[in-house]
Amino acid sequence: MSTTELRNTVAEYGPRRLLAYGAGVLLAIAVVYGAIFPNTAAGDLLRVALSESTLGAALRLAVPIVCAALGGIFAEKSGVINIGLEGLLIISAFTGVYVADAIGSLAFLPGIWVGFFAGVLASTLLSLLFAVVCLEYQADQIIAGLAVWLIALGLAPFISQVAYGSVNTDSVGTLGTWTIPVLSELPFVGSVLFDASPVVYIMLFAVAGSWYVLNRTSFGRHVRASGENPKALDTAGVNVTRTRYVAVTLSGVLSGIGGVGLSLGQVGLFIGNGQTMVNGRGFIAIVAYLFGNYNPVGAFGAGVLFAGLDALQLRLQQIPAYAVPSSLVQTIPYITVIIVLALVGRTRIPSAAGDHYESGED
Amino acid sequence: MSRRDDIEDGLARLVAASWVERLLLSLAALAASIVVGGVIVVVSGMAATCEEPAFAFFGPTSCYDPVGVYVQLFQGAIGNVLADPFNFQIALTLKETTLLVFTGLSVAVAFRAGLFNIGSQGQLVAGALATALAVLFAAPLVPAGLGTIVLVPLGVIAGAIVGGLYGAIPGALKAYADANEVITTIMLNFVAAQVAFFLVSSYFPAPGSQSVETRTVPGAAVLESTLFGSGSNFSVFVFVFGLALVAGLYYLIERTAFGYDLRTSGLQPEAAEYGGVDADRTIVTSMALSGAFAGIGGAVWVLMVTGRFTASVPSLGFDGITVSILAGNNPLGVVPAALLFGVLKSGSLALQLSAESPPKQLVGVLRGLIILFVAMPEFFRLLGKRFVTTGRDPVATDGGKPVEDRRSSPDEQIESGGSTEFERTEGEQ
Repeated sequence: MSTTELRNTVAEYGPRRLLAYGAGVLLAIAVVYGAIFPNTAAGDLLRVALSESTLGAALRLAVPIVCAALGGIFAEKSGVINIGLEGLLIISAFTGVYVADAIGSLAFLPGIWVGFFAGVLASTLLSLLFAVVCLEYQADQIIAGLAVWLIALGLAPFISQVAYGSVNTDSVGTLGTWTIPVLSELPFVGSVLFDASPVVYIMLFAVAGSWYVLNRTSFGRHVRASGENPKALDTAGVNVTRTRYVAVTLSGVLSGIGGVGLSLGQVGLFIGNGQTMVNGRGFIAIVAYLFGNYNPVGAFGAGVLFAGLDALQLRLQQIPAYAVPSSLVQTIPYITVIIVLALVGRTRIPSAAGDHYESGED
Repeated sequence: MSRRDDIEDGLARLVAASWVERLLLSLAALAASIVVGGVIVVVSGMAATCEEPAFAFFGPTSCYDPVGVYVQLFQGAIGNVLADPFNFQIALTLKETTLLVFTGLSVAVAFRAGLFNIGSQGQLVAGALATALAVLFAAPLVPAGLGTIVLVPLGVIAGAIVGGLYGAIPGALKAYADANEVITTIMLNFVAAQVAFFLVSSYFPAPGSQSVETRTVPGAAVLESTLFGSGSNFSVFVFVFGLALVAGLYYLIERTAFGYDLRTSGLQPEAAEYGGVDADRTIVTSMALSGAFAGIGGAVWVLMVTGRFTASVPSLGFDGITVSILAGNNPLGVVPAALLFGVLKSGSLALQLSAESPPKQLVGVLRGLIILFVAMPEFFRLLGKRFVTTGRDPVATDGGKPVEDRRSSPDEQIESGGSTEFERTEGEQ
């Protein structure tokens, strides 16, 4: 390792660690203070933050962010910057509701699960289109990603308007909650972790699965190599383009789960006003995986943190003394990522991300 | 010096060679989006319910007639132009066009410097809020007769400065901290929207209003139309001002030393630095300029359209991205591209009024499709080759490898502007 590389590594991890430790220390002080003096504001805050309902809500709200972030990790690790995650969330959120309503139940599946899979399929197809445009026709990834977002942002309210006469769909109900018999009886964690929406379980499984696939399988190695050094991967006899196709398609599958997790998992209908019900969660997902340094577990942590802030803020609204303006709380994830980007720069982006790769053989 | 001349020569060739291709690409993308949009119209018409199908093909019927929809869009945008050339629809079209000229220019100037400014929306919000507050604050201090002369320039300048400063933030973050401007500008969009919402609802609410908005600016500060009648929310004066900015930016980019720096930074950052361009300063200045255009767009939106700042800002900044990309990031191209979207937007209202039309959200779909097709020039190049095989393209007769010009064409370098950026940062590591 040369000295410049060494210096870069320090520059890469130094500020991030510093920031993380700093935040950790501040948090610890607040927690200790709150625990010692339960009658102060810090005590109240701690109580609300650690209440089962807040934590449960945080996990639920984290589903679209975390799932899309996992998808973004796969795409970007393979060298394709997918800023169309927002669009993938929108299209799956809408399709899930629409299909559940229009087609209803199939032989073995209740309608709502048919919708679930249809939503994931729609997002997968849209990500496949994105992959074709980027990999086959060498489109600029940023512009193509914007296209994915804008197409979904236009298409979902359009179809909703055709089908329902309104940009909002009818309500089809949610996937409900799955209560895991014995574990849900556990004190505290039981109700948070084991009495939750099925999409929460899927998310937890996806986080663990993504981490395993990326770090412990040969496909994961190919994905990482495809983003860092596609030439080497090519030389090793692995098809770079195919690896990127699979990775981008995976980003569609995972974002699809996030999208239906939002519409069918939480709300039960699709809301198409303004920026739609997705409302920037796809972009927060990008924030989450950058914040989590492209690590699925880190992205999960960041996603839950952002969702937790939102949940906490919603709870605090109910206590008049602590009604923080929600518009300000919602800027926290965005400002956080700007600070992180400013401190860490963009050195962590896989080096071949954004580049086209053509195999040397003609 | 000769190095600098080389760059200049190369640039001149690039610009000359690229604009025809760019124009063709934009037209092809537009045509392709219209076709795909038409298919979407027909398919959605099959799902919709109606008394009498408007369109049938071999059995299946559709409620919507794709050609009719486009005709309706266009007619809705221009109205009965023969009877009254200054009708309401034309005013509406020109109003949307004018607004999009500013955000289109905003995105274009950044793009030419090799920067993706996804943040025009946020810069517009910041500028619009600054304009409204500055005018509301200054109005009582200004003598009665001087209202318009003082308040309008004040509002526009306030919008430009605050929009410019807001645009300079991601510029400085990129130049000095190497933070990806795509991400930071997207983030700052949300920050601007939320902070504006907070400020207006907490500190500057309009008394008695249900929505989050400021008080209305005094009449003297409102830009009214004399030609199209009041209520049209369109001022010819502002339109001309927009055109002047187009010409000014074109001149700045193509004819000045700063424009030269900007273009070289956008095309070949390494060569630019070698040629003596201060890359960091160019980045910050370009983003500030970009933000200023968006801020002026916000000022115009407040002073010409709404008369106040309201938290429900239309997606002018995002549309500006489409406008700029369709215009090939050329300031002169921004005018026809903005006009196209002006037509689509005001024409979409005609769709809303008619029961047999697809919903007006169609325009949103078209916007996405246009960007998608502009993003893939290779697609059209391959398509072109397929249809013009007998033409100039030499084709091997023995079925061997086609003889292809492997030189990388200049416009490819422009199109991959985003990727060169990422390459550059690696070079710096």
